[in-house]
Amino acid sequence: MSEQRVLRPTPTDGFPSPTSELQAATENILKNRIPIQSYTSTDKKLLEPILQKNLHLEYLLRNLVQGFPSRYTSQDASQPWLIFWTLQAFSVLGVGLDEKVKKRTTDTILALQHPNGGFAGGPGQAAHLLPTYASICALAIVGKPGEGGGWDQIDRKKCYDFFMSLKQPDGSFLVAHHAEVDVRGIYCLLVVATILNILTPELLEGTPEFIASCQTYEGGFCNASFPGWARTEDKSLDSAAPRPPLGEAHGGYTFCATASWVLLQPYVRTYYTGTKPTPTINTASLLRWIVNMQGNPIELGGFKGRTNKLVDGCYSWWVGGCAVLAEGLLGVDLVNHEPETHENDGSNHEGWDDVDDSLFNRKALQEYVLYAAQHHAGGLVDKPPKFPDAYHTLYCLSGLSSAQHRVVPSETRRADLLNYWNTDEAPKDKLDELQRDAFSNVLSWQEEEGTSKFVGGAVNRLNATHPIFNLTVTHSEGIVAHFYGRKLPVRQFRKPQAGKSS
Amino acid sequence: MSHILDDDEGPKLYSERQDWADVTPIPQYEGVRPIAPIFYTPEYTDATDYFRGIVRTGEKSQRILELTEAIIRMNPAHYSAWQSPLDVELKLMDGIAIEFLKTYQVWHHRRLILTALHDSSSTSPPPTSAPTSARDAAKSELDFITRALLTDTKNYHTWSYRQWLLAFFDLEELWAGELAYVERLLQEDVRNNSAWHHRFFVVFGRVKRGGEVGELQDVLKRELAYTKDQIALAPNNPSAWNYLRGTLEYTNTPFSSLETFVQLYILEKAPELDVLDLENPPPGPGAQLPCVASLEFYADILEKRGEKENIEKATAIWKSLANEHDTMRKKYWEYRIKGALTNTNS
Repeated sequence: MSEQRVLRPTPTDGFPSPTSELQAATENILKNRIPIQSYTSTDKKLLEPILQKNLHLEYLLRNLVQGFPSRYTSQDASQPWLIFWTLQAFSVLGVGLDEKVKKRTTDTILALQHPNGGFAGGPGQAAHLLPTYASICALAIVGKPGEGGGWDQIDRKKCYDFFMSLKQPDGSFLVAHHAEVDVRGIYCLLVVATILNILTPELLEGTPEFIASCQTYEGGFCNASFPGWARTEDKSLDSAAPRPPLGEAHGGYTFCATASWVLLQPYVRTYYTGTKPTPTINTASLLRWIVNMQGNPIELGGFKGRTNKLVDGCYSWWVGGCAVLAEGLLGVDLVNHEPETHENDGSNHEGWDDVDDSLFNRKALQEYVLYAAQHHAGGLVDKPPKFPDAYHTLYCLSGLSSAQHRVVPSETRRADLLNYWNTDEAPKDKLDELQRDAFSNVLSWQEEEGTSKFVGGAVNRLNATHPIFNLTVTHSEGIVAHFYGRKLPVRQFRKPQAGKSS
Repeated sequence: MSHILDDDEGPKLYSERQDWADVTPIPQYEGVRPIAPIFYTPEYTDATDYFRGIVRTGEKSQRILELTEAIIRMNPAHYSAWQSPLDVELKLMDGIAIEFLKTYQVWHHRRLILTALHDSSSTSPPPTSAPTSARDAAKSELDFITRALLTDTKNYHTWSYRQWLLAFFDLEELWAGELAYVERLLQEDVRNNSAWHHRFFVVFGRVKRGGEVGELQDVLKRELAYTKDQIALAPNNPSAWNYLRGTLEYTNTPFSSLETFVQLYILEKAPELDVLDLENPPPGPGAQLPCVASLEFYADILEKRGEKENIEKATAIWKSLANEHDTMRKKYWEYRIKGALTNTNS
């Protein structure tokens, strides 16, 4: 496919402003990252960008084994995040860890569990929803059942009590005692509560309404809506009072709110029957916002986090990775999908469009990560000329993975999972129904076969990652099956092979 | 850091200080060789060892404020260190609160401390020396936020905090200057999306009980006029178009009411107008047309109108977006075409 790159600068209408000047400067840097050959050459080898897997692995290994330099002191309250970002980056790169490293990591994470439930950013610190997510996901990667394995040392009862102690009258949650309300915390709570099988209607009451109240007029979500109840004498919630969003639509919050919305659906399906009005979000405007965050060709198709802001590699995951969640909510896949018939190793660009149901530009997003987000000394970055860090390294890789693979909810898989739960036994009660639905809701996400596509060829292949958890499908299945006490049916189609492992 | 460098000898470590000798410092990991460790400075390790020491004993004394301040200066993201002074402060304030139990301001001040501390990542310090009146505190806080936004006009937490402050105190004098403030910011940078969002918050998000339906038409008229003027200045500005769409949707106003205006922006060259129509300001002299947002907007009008002929026209626009004007979103525009055709056929 001969392709003409049209790198048109973002129009300024002869009316420059600080935003357009910064934008133009960034476009100048980004467009120079495309090798000049790709404009003219017909030699395919010159065109293909390479994911420098070995350099990135060395970078990650250095952080994991040697540790982080003192400038990471700002992450002292995010220690499980440093661990999760690093481990999950290994998983996405298809690299397993040896037993010694797994054991050491498990012990490190368990030292963060708070005596009153939840996990803290460091030993002796207060429990907090964000490090609780990072800790549980790290344990999903390195842990196992049994003594010292990590999974059975998680105090689920106290974790639940900790969650309940953070609950606010409007259905939101503080991220920690005395701290703020933020949809990131709600996402972290819902992932953990779903994985640990501690969802209850008491825990979730009002939460769908709160998430819905965080959608702004732009279609994306903000960090929190205004707690009108806090102004009333008796701290009661007037459900008719407006709850205006605080802050503009933002990529990180939009991912967290959308993933939360997906995680809340089992609760909504089970408990919003009869008189309780079902809360809604505007999925069409959500999708519109997401696709509009993708930068133009001159920005190499990277994603922005807000309207009129700059592209940043981490939004490859937060916004690029969110597209498939929005598509799922809109039922796009069910309408458009036609099964793939021919074998496809994913390395030929010809016919790209034919197999691609995604509503964002997967090819361009891959190009952004490959051309603009790789640091020459290893690790990935926001954009050149920035330096790499653990956070950007994971979210650039996860974003690249989400552009390579389509992981979507499969109704067949859901039915299999439910059948396997217990074919004879009807749900005992609503809570049982909620658990079944939550279990099948998260494990029904499967890679759609024949739809993977790799810019630069299969050598750049990364493992697929679960669009809700950001864990591999294998790690998601392992820990979820454990806490629901279920064996899983064998996946019906072939398990994707890791592109490279060492 | 400057207070550390001022002293030639450097500050004494807590482990060297007599007044902290009664506290047993606790190392971070006991019996665990941690994976992915951070290499802290000796000062940070020392201070946080003592912090863990006093957390374990549950001490609530004044000297904790000094220790946690030292930690926060080295790492403002240490959320646990932010919590402790709050506990201490509340304990100190208990005395005051009991003395003035019925004084609303005292409780309100407590709430202010609580909620201001929420946002440890914003630029606001805990108001330890806040004025006695909550009203004055809110006003000076608003001024402080304005100063903070001077250097960082899109800081998410600062904007979010400003909006909370306005809604929480809900004082006429706080709201009064906000629209003019937004207009000043948009005059400096018409593409500042944070300012556009703030405008929406100020205009439509204000928590009010009871109806104001009569006012709404006036507000809508003012907002449409303002937004159209800003679009005329720089038509390729998604912030302004999103605001326009948001305003129409919020007030249930059909997009088709702006058809005349939008048509000025969908051609390569704006039509020559004999008479200046103030309702429909034409694109400015440097405008690069057609702009994507106007094409999208016009296609939305046509789709809504329905009927085969309109859908065909809309489809032609979406095709031009997919293949020419907005190729990055090709898939999305094709999805819109499919959606419109499915709706027409069913």
